Amino acid sequence: MTVRHEAAHGSIDSSEHDLVVSSLERDQLTEVKKQHFPRRKLKGSELVVLWSLRIYLLFMVAVVLYEVCTGAH
Amino acid sequence: MNRGSDSSSHTRVVDGDELVITHEDIDRAHDRARVSAVRARGGTFSRLRLLWLLIGPGLLVMLGENDGPSMLSYAATGARFGIGFFLPFIVLTFAMAMMVQEMTVRLGAATHRGHAELIFDRFGPFWGWFSLIDLGIGNFLTLITEFIAIRAGLGFFGVPPWAAVLSALALLYLALLTHRYWTWERITLAIAAFNLVFVPVAFLTHPSWHSVGHALVAWKPLPGGLNNETLLIVLADIGATVTPWMLFFQQSATVDKGLTRRDIRFGRIDTVLGAALATIAALATVLATAPLFTHHITAENFQAAEFAQALQPIIGRLGATLFALGIVEAGMVACVTISISSAYAFGEVASRPHSLNLPMAQAKAFYSVLFVCAAIAAAIVMIPGLPLVYVVLLVNVIAVLAMPPALVFLFMLVNDREIMGELVSPRWANVLATAVVIFLTTAGVLFGVSVIAPNIFAGLGAQ
Repeated sequence: MTVRHEAAHGSIDSSEHDLVVSSLERDQLTEVKKQHFPRRKLKGSELVVLWSLRIYLLFMVAVVLYEVCTGAH
Repeated sequence: MNRGSDSSSHTRVVDGDELVITHEDIDRAHDRARVSAVRARGGTFSRLRLLWLLIGPGLLVMLGENDGPSMLSYAATGARFGIGFFLPFIVLTFAMAMMVQEMTVRLGAATHRGHAELIFDRFGPFWGWFSLIDLGIGNFLTLITEFIAIRAGLGFFGVPPWAAVLSALALLYLALLTHRYWTWERITLAIAAFNLVFVPVAFLTHPSWHSVGHALVAWKPLPGGLNNETLLIVLADIGATVTPWMLFFQQSATVDKGLTRRDIRFGRIDTVLGAALATIAALATVLATAPLFTHHITAENFQAAEFAQALQPIIGRLGATLFALGIVEAGMVACVTISISSAYAFGEVASRPHSLNLPMAQAKAFYSVLFVCAAIAAAIVMIPGLPLVYVVLLVNVIAVLAMPPALVFLFMLVNDREIMGELVSPRWANVLATAVVIFLTTAGVLFGVSVIAPNIFAGLGAQ
């Protein structure tokens, strides 16, 4: 059985179909991968860690910019 | 919620559902069929063949991270501080990188999703965008330094900067013309193997192997103690081994290659092998430039070509040539891998086709991000008067500073039983992972203190 491919890419035949079905896990199919994982709720402690590290990063970037300015002089 | 499908697909029935099979699926299925066929055979040769088929992302990420700025950081380390403290320190940083990268293999194989995609899905767009902006800025700055390395390395051979930069862009384009993940991976691996060119260069300096062995075992104190200069090098060397793009790249490459839960053992071997080879190349680079330290040659503002020129009286024209070529290779491979990590992340978040198995016509956004980022970075390098070495070191420092937030997302994902199932991290791995975050954060804070209050370490014996 041969099925025409929709794109200009040519056709896929039943052997290719069988190859995909037998070689890839269902979750590996491009179409299945388009499904999102459900969002999880962040705990209070996790939010504290994430915000702390975000503030740390912003502060340290400011330090690096200061280092660049003083280094340039 | 379902994202839109691309036009190059065909609807077929799979496992009772009507699903779309794409060109990308067919290519990946061919790769997986070879793996299944070899796995079915058994025997030692088949296991080796299986290893050959399944290695790639780990080797590429580790050798890719031995990039232009990393090799220049190692060169500056050897030239300015010798080997005493830094040889064992570099081994430690690669051990950290190995532990962290193994988690991305498990995540990729268990979920078949890229890193950016998982952060957006599980933590929402607010944290997702933070993570993506960190990655985008870090990758773009690092890309600039890759072109700096390529320009400087080819400068040793008298190649004008514009020709060096254009050659690099052309090679990046050629590497992607294959439209097959497998072929691209093998070509890039072949180029990345050239990272080991620093090993013969190290041999040409005739190092004292007794001193090298002693340095690795004894771990001498930081030369000059804690001060702004030594902390900058320490952070640059950490940033030379652990950076956010590595997490995004290896997980996405693991997914694009099609690794499954059954392949995780080989993914781990791949990562360990990559880390081992990258450590050898990094140590060799420190050893190669250490004679500049022992001969008291000031290398404070050296670029790649100048390191090669300074080493020429010690290691000869051949050694200097190999050194310069090694810097070019380091910049080139990282240019490819970092551009791809940005493109993967963009494709995952924007829900656009994102695979090296896709022809350019079917993944225009993916390939456009890849080339546009590289082209802009290349153009910036052409700006005259840029303080190149300083930029290189600072980019590595920024990579270290961005790492703790990226690692926390990684640890939360890899401990998420809902998506990982039985593959969540064991307790001992979490303890080590927490230690890595604390170590990186402390190193960053110490650097910050050394910048804001440079005299504060004087009481601790700093010179």
